[in-house]
Amino acid sequence: MKLRIVCMACLLAVTSFGDTAWARIKLAALPVRERVELQLDNGKYTLVEEERIVPLLKSSAKSGNNMIDFSWSNTAIDKDSILFRPLAIREDGKFREIKDINGNPEINVINVAYPPGENALVWEVYASQACAAKVRVSYLISNLTRSFNYRALANKDETHLTLRSFIKVRNYSGEDFGNAGVWAGFGPHYTKKIGQQEEIQMLLERFKEVPITKTFTFNWYANGQLNADKPFASPILMHYELTNDKANKLGQFPLQPGKVRIFIDDGRGGEAFLGEDLSRLTPLDDKMRLYLGQSRDIVCSRTLEKNQRHAVRGNLFHQEIILKFEIENFRDKDAVLSIQEQINQLARQYGADPHGEAEWELGDQTSEEISFDYSDGKTIPKLSVKLAARPEDPNAKVEKKIVKFHLTIKNLW
Amino acid sequence: MLRHLPIIALLVVLVVNANIHAKNIDLVTLPKREKVQLTIYNSEDLTLAEETRFLTLKKGLNKLQFSWIGTLIDPTSIEIRPLEHRDEIDVVDTILPGQKPNHLIWTIQSDIEGQVAVEVSYFTSGLTWQMDYVAISDSDETNFDFRGYVRVFNNSGEEYEDAEIRMIVGKVNLVEKIAALAGVPVEKLSELQSSVRRFYQRDAMQKSIEKASRAADGDDDVALGKRVIVKEGVSEYFMFSVDGTETIRNGWSKRMEAVKALDVKYDTVYRMRAFQYGPRPARFVIWKNDKESGLGENPLPNGLVRVFRKNSEDGLSYLGQQKLNYVPIQADIEVNLGFDDLVVYKRRRASTKRSDFAFHPTNRHVTGWDEEQQWVDEIRNYRGKPIQFELRNRMNGDIQLRYELPTTSFDFNTIEAKFAVPAAGQTDYPYVATVHHGSNAKQNRVKLIPEK
Repeated sequence: MKLRIVCMACLLAVTSFGDTAWARIKLAALPVRERVELQLDNGKYTLVEEERIVPLLKSSAKSGNNMIDFSWSNTAIDKDSILFRPLAIREDGKFREIKDINGNPEINVINVAYPPGENALVWEVYASQACAAKVRVSYLISNLTRSFNYRALANKDETHLTLRSFIKVRNYSGEDFGNAGVWAGFGPHYTKKIGQQEEIQMLLERFKEVPITKTFTFNWYANGQLNADKPFASPILMHYELTNDKANKLGQFPLQPGKVRIFIDDGRGGEAFLGEDLSRLTPLDDKMRLYLGQSRDIVCSRTLEKNQRHAVRGNLFHQEIILKFEIENFRDKDAVLSIQEQINQLARQYGADPHGEAEWELGDQTSEEISFDYSDGKTIPKLSVKLAARPEDPNAKVEKKIVKFHLTIKNLW
Repeated sequence: MLRHLPIIALLVVLVVNANIHAKNIDLVTLPKREKVQLTIYNSEDLTLAEETRFLTLKKGLNKLQFSWIGTLIDPTSIEIRPLEHRDEIDVVDTILPGQKPNHLIWTIQSDIEGQVAVEVSYFTSGLTWQMDYVAISDSDETNFDFRGYVRVFNNSGEEYEDAEIRMIVGKVNLVEKIAALAGVPVEKLSELQSSVRRFYQRDAMQKSIEKASRAADGDDDVALGKRVIVKEGVSEYFMFSVDGTETIRNGWSKRMEAVKALDVKYDTVYRMRAFQYGPRPARFVIWKNDKESGLGENPLPNGLVRVFRKNSEDGLSYLGQQKLNYVPIQADIEVNLGFDDLVVYKRRRASTKRSDFAFHPTNRHVTGWDEEQQWVDEIRNYRGKPIQFELRNRMNGDIQLRYELPTTSFDFNTIEAKFAVPAAGQTDYPYVATVHHGSNAKQNRVKLIPEK
């Protein structure tokens, strides 16, 4: 055992307070841990709380106060964070609250002394009567950490998934914690034995039937050309999109960052691994996007159909641009392709420096099939285009959908 | 129990021979230390030690030897003065023998014979103190119990038993570092006066500047006292005296409760200041060092504050910690607990529009323009109770800002808005900024225009 609390009360009858405090050779009782709590709700610090029953002698001028020695070895405890909190006194076999007598608590910590060169401290504790006191010793400990990870199992149609959220506790603190209460700040309270150098993964929550949207994204400026043979095409990235709210059967707590392993029901009682992604912190009501890889069955190429400068005055001009997208869906399901444009980049490439955020307006030749979303800002519009599944007839030709994004980037120079 | 031999010794030299320098064998008595008072000036690693001892003097000249081997005493600071018969006892001379480092010999002229109480005082380094604070909030996060602890460290090389301890909150001006001087043999002190002393002075000054700079950054620690610790003002300083005496062995430190305020009401405020706290709102707990908070008797010295919250079954959760800088009486105490996943801030730019272009008269190139930017700052609160939110946006340039929610100027280019966000609700802060660019920019400031 690396962590030790020693009650020196038994010595007090024969030893003066001062000698007890300074002597490092001792005979002492060892109150055992009645309970341990590992509080992991703060992402940076782990708080350990131990509850022990400590026998105390009545303080008197002759015998002095009780000396309680707390020591540890090979354990990275933040010495300055250690708290000693008397909680209750055992009376007639039951614990009762500590009262104030003449304005002073029945049990009170007078001071704490720190011996040189040792991982130890000594509390001087006043007790108005001889008693067994329930105390909590709390401290911050290093190398006892938490992390989160997820397992997502999508149904075969990719309309729902079951999301399992796990917390993993890694104990490299140098201390064993038997039957410790573990709490992450949300989710269930666990009682676990966590030995030294152990890693324990626990299920936080299982979210069933979580609706998902499978998205296909084309982003020319982020991903560039697909390959030399298709210089105007760009990779189509696939994501599952979940919304962390009650309506979408989530929304219990912010989803912490962590690795997500994604599987899909293969329809034959098995599962297929789709890939994994690192999710970011997803606050309530926000969307979690899980990257699945590149789609080979949706092809989109982007060409510039019109690039015309309109002089305004002096060196000021407007740049009129028509982007043409030719899209083919070879999947057997309908899909929505999200095209992400970056107007500032577009201005720089075909016009001039936008001098900050580009000002632009939509042109009347924009295809009606495009719907717009400006949630990432006006200069990064998302264009959504619905695509029908490929024809069931294997001899039929897949429709090439052509849509145009007509815009004028204004006031460039 | 292991007992350290006394390191600082005051010796009464029985042989009254003026030729001290030739003496290597002494026969002496050792008057014990009756009382010692330590006044610790933490800002400069300086402690004034005042010892009371009883000497038996004879009429005529008496030789007293004082030695301090293995300690960090500043030899230039050592003084002796009688506490009784002051008109009948004089220190005739003080000798620092060249052959005996860390020794000093006083010649005392006494007109009386018998026991006399004297006070020996000196500066030493290695005794320091430090403050830390613990706030334990109730589970509703409205009130907490706030305690401050003073911790005294003794690395001076000397045992101080049953010492009266006083701690000074404030910064004294010192020309030389005591520790630096203590490391120099006595016989070299005269050289220090001329050349090396200037080095120590510069070094002390430099460290003082660095320390002030660290304090400004919130990295500096100081402390204060308790155990019915008496607090009183002394000039511009504040002094904390530990009631009674404490024994602090060499190498040990001792922590005592110095400040206690129970059931203190505090406010929780979320502050969004990207330029100061980062991209997310920082959660602050704020209360005052005043009587209403059960405090206000004394300033709170620098120290680390740790904030906990009670949870079920007598347990605690750790909310965070922050270095607290010196808090004067009546001043606010603010602790930044960091980001909170249950309060979400997002900023959206709704539109951009340019107008009022200006052109160069000859080449007709654009020289200035105005840009109207529409923004919406969105704050979502998932906590079970309303929160106070403070938004500060810093904007550079010549800007006119139209706002809907009450907004003030924090400074020439920073706007500030304070509003509540309902429990499990959302508040939007929309505004329109018209930025004058190029030759249109006549100022560098944000001008506020309330939206009608």
